[in-house]
Amino acid sequence: MENQTEFIQNRGKINPLLKILLLIITISGIMIYPSWRLSSILLVVVILLFRVSRASLKLSRNRTKFIIIFSILLLIFQVFITVNGTVLGFVIPQLSNFGPYFPITDYGVERGLSIASRFLLVVLSSMLFVAVTDPTLLAHSLTRLKIPYRYSFALIIALRFLPLFDSENQVVRMAQKSRGIQPEVGGLRKILRTIQYTFFPLLVSSLSRVESLAISMDGRGFGYSENRTYFRKSQWKLSDTLLLVLGLGYVVLCFLLALGYLPILSAII
Amino acid sequence: MLESQNLAFSYDGKTQILRSIDLQIRPGEVVVLTGPTGSGKSTLAKCLSGFIPRSIEGEFSGEIIINGENTSDYPIAEISRLVSLVQQDPDSQICTLKVSDEVAFGPENYEFELKTMEKLIKSSLFAVGASHLHNRNTHTLSGGEKQRLAIASMLSCQPKYLILDEPSASLDPKGILLLRKILSQLKDKNVGVLCIEHNLDAIRPVADSILSVSNGTITNWTQIEEQTLTPSPAFVPSNKSLLSLEGIDFSYGSTKVIQDVSMSIHEGEIIALMGGNGSGKTTLVSLLGGLLEPDIGCVHLGKDAMSDIDRKNIAKRISVVFQNPNHQIFERTVWKEQILTSEIIDNMHEDSIERSRNLLNSANLGNFVDRNPFSLSHGQKRRLNITSTIAHLPDILLLDEPFIGQDQDGKSFILNAITETASANGAALVVTHNPNFARNHCNRVIFVENGSILLDGSPETVLQRLVEIGHSEYSELGVNS
Repeated sequence: MENQTEFIQNRGKINPLLKILLLIITISGIMIYPSWRLSSILLVVVILLFRVSRASLKLSRNRTKFIIIFSILLLIFQVFITVNGTVLGFVIPQLSNFGPYFPITDYGVERGLSIASRFLLVVLSSMLFVAVTDPTLLAHSLTRLKIPYRYSFALIIALRFLPLFDSENQVVRMAQKSRGIQPEVGGLRKILRTIQYTFFPLLVSSLSRVESLAISMDGRGFGYSENRTYFRKSQWKLSDTLLLVLGLGYVVLCFLLALGYLPILSAII
Repeated sequence: MLESQNLAFSYDGKTQILRSIDLQIRPGEVVVLTGPTGSGKSTLAKCLSGFIPRSIEGEFSGEIIINGENTSDYPIAEISRLVSLVQQDPDSQICTLKVSDEVAFGPENYEFELKTMEKLIKSSLFAVGASHLHNRNTHTLSGGEKQRLAIASMLSCQPKYLILDEPSASLDPKGILLLRKILSQLKDKNVGVLCIEHNLDAIRPVADSILSVSNGTITNWTQIEEQTLTPSPAFVPSNKSLLSLEGIDFSYGSTKVIQDVSMSIHEGEIIALMGGNGSGKTTLVSLLGGLLEPDIGCVHLGKDAMSDIDRKNIAKRISVVFQNPNHQIFERTVWKEQILTSEIIDNMHEDSIERSRNLLNSANLGNFVDRNPFSLSHGQKRRLNITSTIAHLPDILLLDEPFIGQDQDGKSFILNAITETASANGAALVVTHNPNFARNHCNRVIFVENGSILLDGSPETVLQRLVEIGHSEYSELGVNS
């Protein structure tokens, strides 16, 4: 039984540091050149990457709803408030002497699509990054950049405790329900009391966990030396360098498009 | 040998937690330490493992001697290589996302070579019977698996002495049998073990000696201390259903945890809800308490559908107490916490105030009314959870493992609350692993497995049937949790 233990040392094919750099590069690119066409192309690429990496796109019902509703609201809001451009129609058409109100312009639609698609791209690409990155390997690659391991471990611990915090929040809500405590919003005092009933138990529980965690980590020599060894290590390969060059090329392209040096291409994307 | 000489400690300089403790643990020996809640067992564990006075402040005196050397000048990392502490809650001690990373954490900090690390990870996981878990994500492990991982991650630092604080608390009987095996193997490897435990039956077969802490000093444990609770008078339950589930299914995301469960709780019943870790007991309690909405099926409180009843009305009739006390304390003083439910359900009158006072006194909390409830000990908080939800005399008590971490007084208090509710035409359902409690105090046992009710009947019948179908651990252990 003992000899059958084979450890998966390094599951990811791309260096985790490169993954975080590519995330930053992708988001920077669409901020430099905020075209809805470019964002939509990248959005399709990100969704394809979800499929390729077999990462789950399924979110909890509420979160998916929130992301979709929020992006639609962004689109509608922009369409409503942008009045310049060619008028395509009106939200409220002319009815005898009433209206027309709220013109829909091509520029407004374009702006709305640009903001909504960028919002979706930022959210989905960040989700993809979290889904496909091994935090332990990311911590190792950060230490290779001479970042002290104490800081990179903060990231691992945060990711380790997020699901726990989420489930504790659910239990606290159930405990409130069982005592007949209902969220109240009428007046500042009631709001403060609702906050107190949620944050007190969560805070105390987190603080007691912090003490246990500190004892557990100190008890296993955390901080014993300036350096530490790593059981699983990240590796930087030639393919990583090529991908980085490609990523930097994309940023340069976005700059050129934004500055108008590539008029034919910018007419397409 | 790990020994303490004349050890004394006080957190605030006023209340002496430990006074003149002399203790010795030899290599290859399992010493069990028991005692009432708040008697200083965990404090002693932190002194022996060096966290007091290095990381935790207070007035400390005395000496810790390891293998003949006084360790007062040792830094914490040096002591940790000799003495490791596994704390009560395994979930709070795991700091990485993969099992192999967690076991490698100590060796990595001590800058071990890759090959040595691999060897240590394999042997440590093997020692706790967890080799098959090596590539799993830590957050997907069950409570028992996390406990074993916490032990393995300390063993990989190759300590000479291991201190385990309430290791059986989150384990089902199968897990307890495995824990005994782990302790026997540690003895064979010549590791000295100090095991802090309320549940003596769980560890006694492998213990070399049993000590007791009370009033800050250590004495040899004597059988008299562990009185068995007086069996409750047998109630004859009526046929009147107080609470029922009909054809219930429930899933967390895509994982189905409750499948086609139907059951009724009748007046006068004290039900032991038993089953292994992860079998769906806690979810069933939440469904019974109307705290989770079933995917399929319906819950009835009396004759009414639970979904049609106002939340305050449900709180008036059902009291639910969860496992972790910190999640169910909301107020700033013990007294405010005690009367919170009565205030919410508009039940603040002289009788209920008087009853609240009496309840706090009988739970040994009468002297702490102005204290912040979060500053109480774990056992005290759990008792407050119960007193604060029964002052308005609810019909039904749903208690999730209420006896964990309770000393004899605490257990008697909780038992009284259960029998009083049942005898007043109410009912109680108690999640437990303890067949003695089921046999002596319950008139019905429900055993769940994989989210379905496997057995339901009188304690004798169900416990006998459990032996017949290969779950003999529930009868053999007599786990006094």
